[in-house]
Amino acid sequence: MSERASEAGLHSAFVGADQVQCAPASVRGKALPDVVAGRYRIERLLGVGGMGCVYRARDLLHEQFGDPAPLVALKFLADSLDQSPDGAALLYSEFALTRHLYHPNVVRLYTFEVDTDCQRAFISMELMQGLTLDRLLCEHPLGLPWKMLRSIALPLLDAVVHAHRRGVLHADLKPSNVMLCDDGPRLFDFGLGQAEEGMPGLARLSRTRFNAWTPGYAAAELLEGAAPSACSDVFALACVLYELAGGKHPYRRLPATQARTEGLERELRAPNTLPRHCWSALRTALALDASRRTMTASELHAALSRVPFWRARWQGRWW
Amino acid sequence: MSAEALWRSLGRTDIGKVRESNEDAFLDCPEHGLWVVADGMGGYECGGLASQLIVSSLAALPLLPSLDERVKAVRQCLHWINRRLNQELTVAQGHAERIMGSTVVTLLLEGRRAACIWAGDSRCYLWREGCLYQLSRDHSLQQQLIEQQQMSIEQARAHPSASALTQAVGARAQLTLDMLEFNVCPGDTLLLCTDGLHQALGCEVLGNALSRSTPQGALQQLFDVALSGRAQDNLTAVVIRR
Repeated sequence: MSERASEAGLHSAFVGADQVQCAPASVRGKALPDVVAGRYRIERLLGVGGMGCVYRARDLLHEQFGDPAPLVALKFLADSLDQSPDGAALLYSEFALTRHLYHPNVVRLYTFEVDTDCQRAFISMELMQGLTLDRLLCEHPLGLPWKMLRSIALPLLDAVVHAHRRGVLHADLKPSNVMLCDDGPRLFDFGLGQAEEGMPGLARLSRTRFNAWTPGYAAAELLEGAAPSACSDVFALACVLYELAGGKHPYRRLPATQARTEGLERELRAPNTLPRHCWSALRTALALDASRRTMTASELHAALSRVPFWRARWQGRWW
Repeated sequence: MSAEALWRSLGRTDIGKVRESNEDAFLDCPEHGLWVVADGMGGYECGGLASQLIVSSLAALPLLPSLDERVKAVRQCLHWINRRLNQELTVAQGHAERIMGSTVVTLLLEGRRAACIWAGDSRCYLWREGCLYQLSRDHSLQQQLIEQQQMSIEQARAHPSASALTQAVGARAQLTLDMLEFNVCPGDTLLLCTDGLHQALGCEVLGNALSRSTPQGALQQLFDVALSGRAQDNLTAVVIRR
């Protein structure tokens, strides 16, 4: 999944796997072998989430046929989930939903496989070169200049618009689920994703909906038991964009329900770097009450891509 | 001259005699002048992943030209992992929020300059001219009681939560890293280790082991003594010798 762009040409200077000593990836279930499914040699841990972890691996089959860059990312479920009867279905659901999307700003998945020896399912996917937005925020604690923010926000919104049009809800949008690559952002980890009811071409998988969220980015209605919706995706995305703009979470990282109780929405202020013409739309998208969050991802995209009247005129487009 | 030409190092980890899994991880990378020991916490699976993420992320940092830049990169990386483990984890309904965290002690060397960065109670020791110095100061309640309430070591150790950590990567929204910069001399030996090792061994044993002429010899002695005892925790050490 993730690699710093600066590492791309550094394989010779890369620390060898034998210099890093860790316990096997799984401790209760069978440990992950060095080579998974007889094909992927695991090299290092790239990321950890609450529900799974992602490793960088070398595709030995592609390497054998001369592929100069046979690196892939492999996603495994957390061992605790992997032991549950729904575990593999959860991972397959992520695979099926993501494969239903065709967008340059959505991660590309390759295969869903099971290593029969260690009895673990996994997804193979492209190894993205870049850094996740949570890491970007650590490097820009005061937020991003508008031009940079815009270059991330618009393609990201476009990816979400595409997903929603295809009937796919992400349901766990947050900075660590977006990778900023050389050619723009990539949205990934549809592990909590849902297919909207009635969408043609996308079977709703017969697994009990797994109720999970990331507290700082989940809409209030999700925390109160509602199903994920396009509207809850918009809230999470708006939190990410607000944070990217000013370096601060809109609601002090509190769960949305608590932010509502404390009346924090009234205290919302536009981040300094955000142009005034974008604020109204972003503020609406940040509404804690779903009934007042009358903003779709598409409308937010339109608002952020709009050139304000005065600038258009100044640039001579209006005469 | 590269750090590799100056420094010989070796690391070792052992599950110990009681724990079901090893949640420690280490990095031994003399060619980058970088060594790390991390002791995961959070129990089953979580702790091991946290320490592994720290070690694997620090191992992947690009080799920057100056110690100051490398220190900055290490600190930034640890702050990012803290955010990842503390604020970005998905939580399942009905499951209590899990702590996924890890202590860390990192040593960076560049010529004569050295920097030690740490959070938690994994330690860095220096053996110089027959004397043992503890360079890192534990982020633990025991240490806090000694410093802030002027308790003796024995009094502080008797506190029921003496070993509770006051800092660790992933444990709190804000991570405070400690750092010590110092100069190294020919003949110096440095040790990074988790509490499983330093709790099990006294200063005399540590000093005797570090006075051995090679990292292999030092590690052998450290683990022989530790494993001849109860070894209730995972044990990890990296020995670096100039």
